[in-house]
This record gives sequence, C-alpha cells and structure tokens, in this order.
Amino acid sequence: MKKEIKIALAGNPNSGKTSIFNNLTGSHQHVGNWPGVTVEKKEGYFFYNEYKISVVDLPGIYSLSASTIDEKIARDFLLDEKPDIVVCIVDSSNLERNFYLVTQLLEMKQNLIIDLNMIDIAEAKGLKIDENKLSLMLNFPVVKTIANKNKGTDILKKAIITAYQNKKISDFKIKYNKKIEEALKRVIPLLEENNVKEDKRWLALKLLEGDQHIIHRIKEKYKIHNIEDKILPEVTKIEKETGEDIITLIVDNRYGYIKGMLNEILQKSFKRKISWEVSDQIDRIIINRFLGIPIFLLIMYATFQLVFTVGGPVADLIDTFFSWLGTATGEILKNAGASDMLISFFVDGVIGGVGSVLVFLPNILLLFLVISFLEDTGYMARAAFVMDKLMHTLGLHGKSFIPMILGFGCNVPAIMATRTLESEKDRILTILVNPLISCSARLPIYVLFTSVFFTKHQGLVVFSLYLLGIVLAIVVARIFKNIFFKEEVAPLIMELPPYRIPQFKSVLIQMWLRAKVFLIKAGTIIFVTVVLIWFLGSLPPGVEYASEKSIIGKIGKIFAPIFKPAGFGLWQAAVALVFGILAKEVVVGTLGTLFGGEEGLSQILPHYFTPLSAYGFMVMSLIYIPCIATIAVIKRETNWKWTLLAIGYSLILGWIMAVLIYQIGNILN
Amino acid sequence: MIPLSAVNTGEEFKIIKIYGGRGIMKKFFDMGINPNSLCKVISNPGKGPVIIEKDGIRVGIGYGMAKKIFVQIYNEGDFKNEKRD
Repeated sequence: MKKEIKIALAGNPNSGKTSIFNNLTGSHQHVGNWPGVTVEKKEGYFFYNEYKISVVDLPGIYSLSASTIDEKIARDFLLDEKPDIVVCIVDSSNLERNFYLVTQLLEMKQNLIIDLNMIDIAEAKGLKIDENKLSLMLNFPVVKTIANKNKGTDILKKAIITAYQNKKISDFKIKYNKKIEEALKRVIPLLEENNVKEDKRWLALKLLEGDQHIIHRIKEKYKIHNIEDKILPEVTKIEKETGEDIITLIVDNRYGYIKGMLNEILQKSFKRKISWEVSDQIDRIIINRFLGIPIFLLIMYATFQLVFTVGGPVADLIDTFFSWLGTATGEILKNAGASDMLISFFVDGVIGGVGSVLVFLPNILLLFLVISFLEDTGYMARAAFVMDKLMHTLGLHGKSFIPMILGFGCNVPAIMATRTLESEKDRILTILVNPLISCSARLPIYVLFTSVFFTKHQGLVVFSLYLLGIVLAIVVARIFKNIFFKEEVAPLIMELPPYRIPQFKSVLIQMWLRAKVFLIKAGTIIFVTVVLIWFLGSLPPGVEYASEKSIIGKIGKIFAPIFKPAGFGLWQAAVALVFGILAKEVVVGTLGTLFGGEEGLSQILPHYFTPLSAYGFMVMSLIYIPCIATIAVIKRETNWKWTLLAIGYSLILGWIMAVLIYQIGNILN
Repeated sequence: MIPLSAVNTGEEFKIIKIYGGRGIMKKFFDMGINPNSLCKVISNPGKGPVIIEKDGIRVGIGYGMAKKIFVQIYNEGDFKNEKRD
C-alpha cells in the first residue's frame, strides 16, 4: 500500500497552472464538478517513490477573498479538505500581483511550496530572483519551473515529497497598521473562547475585512451569532481614526510587505519592454478601434468554416459507417432468425442512437480545439475587450460574448462559461438568452430542410437562422434587462495577458476534457431518447412502427393543432418537436423514423411542407425550448424561477415567430 | 485629479481614488492595482475601454469604470523620483 499525499495547486489565472497540472499527472486525470456548482474540478494523481500523490487543481484566483465563485471554491477546499501541501504557482514575471495570493496562503497557515513558474519569461524581462533567500525568508521551499517546456517538473515532485516528510508549522505574520493590530488583539480572544479550529489571526482579519462567507461560517460552525455586533464597532473605529477604508488599509499593508520582500530577493535591470514588444505590435491591430470588431468576426467566421467544412466530411463518413453497420447488423440478425421487433430495436434504437451521438464528435472536437487554442494565445481576453462597448449598448457585459460564442457549439458548456462574469445579474441575463444561439445540434435540422427546400440558397438560409438567433438574443436581453435588472452592467476590468504561443499538448488536453464532458452528458441523453422513441413508436404491441396508432402518434395528434397557424399542423412534426426537447438533433432522427427512414426524407418532406412552412419549422426548432441538458444546466447555475422563465419565454417566442413567418409570408405571396 | 478616461496614451499616472463598490475595489486590489500605484496608459482611444499597465501587468478597464478612477498625471521627472524610493 502506497502512502497517499493530498496536494492542491493554487495560482493566478495565466500563471501556467494547467500546464503544471498536466506535467505532474500526465494522463492520470479526470474532470468533475465542484459540489453544488458547475465549475470544473480537475483531479489527478502520480506516483513517486513509495507515495501516491493525488492532485487537485483549484480554480485560477487572484486572492482568497471569496468575491467570485472560483475564490470561494478554492478557499472552502483549503479550509475543509485540508490538503497536506499547497503548491502555489507563481508567474515569475508578475511577482507583486502573484505574491498577493502567496501571502494569503501563508496567512492561512497552509503548508506551502512556492513554484516560480515561467522563470524564462522573467529572466528575459531582466528579473533575477534569489530563490534561496526567498525560501529562507518565508521558511518554505521554493522551486523554479518552466511548465510549458516541462522543465523543473521532477524538482517540484521531489520538493513535494520532502515537504511532506518534514512538515512545517508556519509562523508567518504580516505586521498591520497599529490600529488593526489592536483590533486583532481584541477579536482573536473572542475566537479562542469558542474553540475555533482554523487559524485565528487569519479569521480575525477576514472578519475585519467584512468577509460575508467567513462571518456566515463562524455563525454556522461555532454558533457565535453576535459576531457582527462585536466586529462592526472595531471596523468603524479604525475607519474613523485613520480616515481610510479598512480594506484599503489591509490591502495596502499586504502590498507593502510584498514590496519589501521583493526588494530583498529581486535584482531587476529594467528591460520590461521586451516581453511586450511583440504583443504590442499584435495589439495595435487586434484591438484597434476600427479593426478590432471586423477581426473578431473574421476569426469567428474562420472558426466556423474550419469546424463545419473540415468536420462535415468526417461527420458524413461516420454517418455512412453507421448506416452500413445498421444494414449489416439487420441482415445478420435476420439470417439468425430474430424477430422484426428485435431487429428494429438494434438497428433503429441502439445503432441509430449511438450513431446520432458520434456524428457530432468531429465538429465538437474541432470547435473545442479552436476555442482552447484561442484561449491559450491570449486572444479570448482581447475578444471580450473588443466586444465590451458593443455588448454594453446591448445591455450585456463584454465577457458575455465568450459564452455566446461557445453557444454556437453547445449551450451546455456555454452556460457553464458564464461563471467568468462576476455580477450575478449579468450572469443570469447571459444564461437566459444563450439558448437562442444556434448550437451545433440544431444544424442537422437546418441542413435537412434547406437541402430539400432551399437548394439554391442553402448557405444563405442557414446563415439567416443563425442571425435570427443572435438578433433575438439581443432583443430579448434588452427586454429582460428592462424588466428584471435595471441597474448598470458591471464594469469591465480584465487582465490582458501577453500573447503566447500555445502549447500543443495543453490545447489538446483541454479540448479533450471539454469534449468528454459534452459527449458523456449529451451522449447518454440522446441515446436514451432514441431508445425511448423506439419504444413509444412500437407500443402498444402489434401496432405498425411509428404509425398514427402508436403512443407516439397519439401524442403528436394532441399537439398538432397548435401548429396549424404556423403551417405545419402535422402529427409527425409535433412528435418531432416534442422529442426535440430531449435533444434538438433528435428532431431529424424522429422525422426519419416517422417518415420511414432518413434516406427517403428528401422525397417525402415536400408532400408535407412548403418552403415557407419549412422555414417556420426551422425557426420553431431554433427557438422553442432549450434541450433537456441545457435546462438542467440552467437550473444548476440559477434556480427554478429563471429556469421556468427560460422555458416559458422560448416556447411562446418560438410559436409566435413561426406563426408570424407563415402568416406574413402567405400574405406577401 | 482627473479621471483615468482623460489620460492620454503613453502618459504615466498615480491612482488617487477608485470610486466603486467593495467588489470592484477588491478586484482592482487583487490584480495589484491600488491607490498610490504608479501606472501607465497603454491605450486610450478616447471613447472605448482603456488599457493600463502596472509592473508589466496589463488591465483593460471599461470606459464607464475609467471615468470613476481618479488619478494624478506624472511628469517624467516625478515618476522617476518616486520609483527610486
């Protein structure tokens, strides 16, 4: 039995934390979610000598103030799970800001290893860091790494083992303003009286900072319900006597300490401009006032060209393979004397189901590949920056654009991505309108109908649907903002990292981890849906498959009249839409099943649809309801109230739009 | 004191006061930007967001926010003196 060491990786965003995680754990990693929230939790492990070291990658954070979900997650993990060692990954070229997190971890009395990462960039900047002196000053090990070149990984591993073997109790202390120290002297005994287990000085500081989560924690865990009454006079007293905001005082003290420390360990010969020279040149074009938005649109256009033109043929190959597999399996089963029902179950249900999931794999992989690549180059931060002004006039935040872009791939990860927005209101607004962005699952519906009804202008018609979704998202966002969130949008404050050449391995790993989550989530739902359709189409026993008399037909008949004003009051269309709730691409599969096979659809559909009602049907499919996976994510990220609103408004809006298109189109004709 | 939105590209300045809620102040502090910080405007197109730099870290600030940060512009000489301290 190997001994297990639990370590956590902490660090600022853009500090190379993900690369360190990949270098340490290699392929031994998996992604889950932190309890209660849909923030990615990456875990992994590696072996070293007689130890098994399990690694948790905490979200990228600037401090432990718990002002964002990410910070709260990281802090709760450190408080509750008590890892043996915390490795704090530091961007060596940004020491002052990165050390803010280091001092916070030190104050929290974590058993720390300081990893000076990107040491090559720091040296190129002319910074020379005396790591021995730093280690001596802080009394914790310091290692140097270059994660994107996988340098120093072994030294880090060794340091982890050594740190585990000689555990240290830190006596680290920042000396604060006299008034604050006096207040601490009165607050700490309060905590001692109640047998508080966490570091008391740290907790007392957090209480003075007015940290709501810590106040809540103290009340819940230690039942000190009057804690606020005790703290508030102290804060008022300090602020009155110094004439400064208490947070300003504390933060100033911390930076003062960091500055002093850096003076000791740093020899810098100011050559700062070097690292920005290239980035500056690129930025002159990329975030130019006039070129910024066109370039952004161009990059997005190129992304979609790549995703669909390269991914399309591969998807077709997979499709062909599965229809061949279906036919072949059918033959084999028939020769073996299987019943028609059983053959149909395997061919239509199982193989059809798996096929309909895997067909999306090329597109999804490519989309995530490009997004991971753009993120790693540093462009994504610029995209939010470039779009900020436009998004503000639309009532959204600059950062809302990233979830919107992701929405073109799949609304599920897109909605997950809204957590980068700090303001709850901006977040909810972005989530509510996100399903209006045409995800890749809606594309098969567009492709099917346009290839039958709009052969000449297929691309244009599909584009018009994407555009309609965007326009509606903007309009709906405006309306909701006026109804629910009248306040200003949170201001954009965003770090712009220097451009970097992405590390191929890291991009691939990120792509795969995202695609995996999507595939498992979407895959199970789609598969279950297809099998469910098959059952509903085959029951009651003896009925002709998917005929009017089957359960499915009866469901469709109930709903069909609703769609009459939109020109597609057919029970088959209604059934397809009902099942489309479970996953939008199922609409195509269902129509295929109901009209006797997807191959024949191009001949059959013109008997039931006109080009106008076909367009209405596509619009309906675009808007009418988020798929079940999206609904589930909306619920997890918000609450039932917003989820029901998202379902309700889209159903009504979808129906109105489809009816409007059909009716107005008829008048014009 | 003038708002950051009025500082031209290339000018160096010292932050005097940030008007904003606790959340916004913390966000700035956490990124290393606090009152008394010496910074430089990397880009200010006059109407859109402003980019500032402090110790090699670049931060983009929305135009609305840039109007709420009050700063003091430094002449080259002042800036160097302060750095030497």
